[in-house]
Amino acid sequence: MMQSIFWLVFTIAIYGAAKRIYRAYPKVYLTPLLTTPIVIITIIALSGVTFDTYDKGAIWLSDLVEPATIALAVMLYKHLDVLKKNAKAIIASVCCGAITAFLTTAELVHMFGLKYDLMASLAPRTATTPIAVSVSGIIGGVPTITAVATLITGLVGLTLGPLIVKWLRINSPIAQGILFGTSAHSAGISKAFEYNAIAGSIASLAMMLTAFVTLLIAPWLITFFQ
Amino acid sequence: MKSLLRTIIQVLFFILLAKLSDSLVIWLHLPIPGSIVGIIFLFALLEFKIIRLDWIELGSKWLLSEMLLFFIPATVSIINYKSLIAANGIQILISIIGSTLLVMLCAGMIAQRISERKERNAA
Repeated sequence: MMQSIFWLVFTIAIYGAAKRIYRAYPKVYLTPLLTTPIVIITIIALSGVTFDTYDKGAIWLSDLVEPATIALAVMLYKHLDVLKKNAKAIIASVCCGAITAFLTTAELVHMFGLKYDLMASLAPRTATTPIAVSVSGIIGGVPTITAVATLITGLVGLTLGPLIVKWLRINSPIAQGILFGTSAHSAGISKAFEYNAIAGSIASLAMMLTAFVTLLIAPWLITFFQ
Repeated sequence: MKSLLRTIIQVLFFILLAKLSDSLVIWLHLPIPGSIVGIIFLFALLEFKIIRLDWIELGSKWLLSEMLLFFIPATVSIINYKSLIAANGIQILISIIGSTLLVMLCAGMIAQRISERKERNAA
């Protein structure tokens, strides 16, 4: 019990410190989602603790992912007019994005000569974790690998997204939101909120739509690779 | 102090809502996750004025601004996949990075084009 509380408090403390460092030096490689796990993994490895022991305390944080996801409804409600006005842009780009994500992942995994179950595990990774995991199960992937791949996707989107936004001069908050929500689910949403509230709300909607589209197209698109 | 208490109570409301949505999904055998059901349900509650925005706004702000913290434990779970990472880690990483870049290019550029055209039409 004491150990669980220790790992919980430890995670929050490291995250707090990482956030403070990121606020002082806002560099992509200092994003708390990257630095915090690196520090924690190092400490766990050095102290010989297993992940299960760590997770007994840390799971209290994971349990807040779902309430936080539901809180997105508040953002959707507050920015409903912006969403309605941009429905066409959102639907067109999210559909293209979700299909691109699925096909290019499957194709790259195929090119590397990896096995089918790995392909089916990675292909749904752009959807938000709960959806990606269930899609993976449906098309013959390994759900736990999908969960990790989804997470790495979030990290990649979070770090590369701002560079793409800068290079392509994506300056409309609508397009920024779509870019982050479609490519990097919840991690992308938190990044989009760093730009502004509209980008964040659009990203929330893009994430949900990406999840629905992936759920619908995955069983059909995967047949091209079977 | 008062706003701290309000935030805590409101966050508890979101936790309760999440538990309810999960039970509903199991009970009705719905093919979608509880979080999506929760979003739709809460949105309907707000839209039909059953609950007021300021009853839950503080809690939602806190949950959304600390969202990254809640993902940290899942990220740490990567240490359970040492052998997979050793065998195929590089290929997996390149696939994810390559595909994510293409998704961002495609979704971002289409959205930027459409919103630019819209601005021009409005002007």
